Amino acid sequence: MDDTESLKARIETLEKQLSEVKELLKKQVETTATKEEVKAVKKEVEVAKKEVEVTKSQQDEWKFYDSTVHLGGYAQVGYASDDPANDRFNQVQYSPIFHYQYKDLILLESEFEVEIEGDGETHLALEYLTIDWFMNDYMALSAGKFLSPIGQFRQNLHPGWINKLPSAPSGFGHDQAAPVADVGVQLRGGAPFGNNMQANYAVFVSNGPILELNEDGDEIEAIETEGFTSDDDDNKLFGGRIGFLPIPNVEIGISGAFGELGLPGDTGDRDYDVLGFDLFARWRNLDLRGEYVKQEVDGFAGSVAEEGQEWEAWYIQPSYKLLPTKLEAVARYSDFDSTHADQDQQQWALGLNYLFSANAIAKFAYEFNDGLTGTDTDEDRLFLQFAYGF
Amino acid sequence: MNILKNTMLISLKIVTLLILAVPVLSTAAEEGDVARGSKAWANNCSRCHNMRDPKEFRDDGWRPIIAHMRLRAGLSGQQARDILTFLQSSNYTAPASSGSMTKVAESSGEDGETIYNNTCIACHGADGQGALPGVPKFSERLSKPDDVLLSNITNGFQSKGSPMAMPPKGGNPNLSDADIMNVLSYIRENLGK
Ligand code: HEC
Ligand code: HEC
Repeated sequence: MDDTESLKARIETLEKQLSEVKELLKKQVETTATKEEVKAVKKEVEVAKKEVEVTKSQQDEWKFYDSTVHLGGYAQVGYASDDPANDRFNQVQYSPIFHYQYKDLILLESEFEVEIEGDGETHLALEYLTIDWFMNDYMALSAGKFLSPIGQFRQNLHPGWINKLPSAPSGFGHDQAAPVADVGVQLRGGAPFGNNMQANYAVFVSNGPILELNEDGDEIEAIETEGFTSDDDDNKLFGGRIGFLPIPNVEIGISGAFGELGLPGDTGDRDYDVLGFDLFARWRNLDLRGEYVKQEVDGFAGSVAEEGQEWEAWYIQPSYKLLPTKLEAVARYSDFDSTHADQDQQQWALGLNYLFSANAIAKFAYEFNDGLTGTDTDEDRLFLQFAYGF
Repeated sequence: MNILKNTMLISLKIVTLLILAVPVLSTAAEEGDVARGSKAWANNCSRCHNMRDPKEFRDDGWRPIIAHMRLRAGLSGQQARDILTFLQSSNYTAPASSGSMTKVAESSGEDGETIYNNTCIACHGADGQGALPGVPKFSERLSKPDDVLLSNITNGFQSKGSPMAMPPKGGNPNLSDADIMNVLSYIRENLGK
């Protein structure tokens, strides 16, 4: 029968196809994941996700914790050559800064000043040490030894990597016209307001400075403002500064302090006043700074030193970044006037700086000094300095 | 000097009043905000010294530094938190092939101009000429093709010898690829000169 034959053949082909299909199915089953397998993979993904989350919160550990320790500071080394000649590597100074912070509540700030002196001795000083309490968003109370908030140079511009010249302006050094530091309490803060305006303030009560007599002991020679933990005259000094920024990167500051100072043996105390103005403005690559400061003590009848004294200084300093190079040019005129002619000085300083980075700077500068003929204050000076802040 | 004395005395009185007002002024602290932070940073952090690069310190390093600088600069607590947040989100450079690793931010739906004014203006300026020393004019850079610029904006970028880096997404991690595309077209159309 032909029909049976063909039927048989068809069945055979069908059987063959069926086994092929079976084979295929088997293969497919092998490659398709079972439900269990899918579950397992899902679990693995969950675990991986958790791990990522843990890693993330471990990363956040750097952001959220209670206590922090931080070491910063700066160092400067330099060379100076005077006219008439005396050249030497004259500066090796290291100022480590330690910060300890507890939450956003307490900050301890401290800075040492370690310096090699002319005779090779190492001079060590506690430049400042305060414990600060952040009372709220607009107020922080600092207690301890702080840099004087009168003006800008002494509190904000003197570190080597910040000061654009290797020296302080005339009158802004130690024991000159600008107060350096003080011991007491200080309240500081600030706030933005209006359209892009800002204001900041600092007020303090402190022990105040000490008057220094000349060799004969009959005249006040200088005023020491290094910050003392004694106050023999028992009169506290009150002072502060208010800064106003009408637009960003323009700041005008006015500062002042008043109190009374005494000399040993006097029957009473004399008035002491400080007055300061400061200005900063930036236009593109040009920075302009200027500052005025005056300290004054009245005379006192019957005192060993009856006469009053005055120390007054100001400077103006434009500087220009020669971008895209790493060079910066700076000029500064400063004038220090005191009742003692041997302290007076007028000075032009010109400098060229190379900025390795924002905080590492090499300075080359020349000072033209005009003071009492034949004294140090009249000698011109060439400086090379390398400063690094970290 | 009497005028000076009187002003000082009045200021002292004002300050005493302020201290008494402490409980009133102590509102709950708001978290830091990147966009406000980049503005406050650009407006304050190069007033006394050269601008320090956000990449200089790790997240934990910036914290005490900003507390210190809040006091120096006379900033409010909010400004300090904003600046800290900005620095902590700008102190890394994402690896160039980071597309899949970074959180895929959802588009903010803001147009290029809004994004520019919130996140980029502090450094690049309203006119695109650069608001800080070290930030280039856009006109000097726009000859680069879009894919290069998009990648440099997304991942951060510092050319050789440049004093400052462009932080990833301008320091704002919430910008999506679409946002960055929008802001780049805004820059090309309006700030290329
Ligand atoms: C009012 C001036 C002033 C302003 C504004 C200012 N700084 Fe400073 N900054 C200083 C002084 C001064 C130092 C050196 C510290 C010292 O000698 O105590 C310093 C140091 C630093 C350091 C080195 C580390 C340290 O803590 O000493 C960093 C980093 C820094 N500033 C970043 C900033 C940032 C970021 C801002 C913006 C929030 C800023 N500064 C604003 C004055 C200022
Ligand atoms: C913190 C400051 C800062 C912010 C904020 C900032 N930039 Fe930049 N940007 C820079 C600096 C600095 C450079 C130059 C970097 C270099 O060449 O080393 C730069 C470069 C660029 C370039 C040129 C890149 C190239 O390949 O040459 C573009 C485009 C750019 N920024 C766009 C933006 C956009 C868009 C935003 C906002 C989302 C923004 N920037 C926010 C600082 C900033």
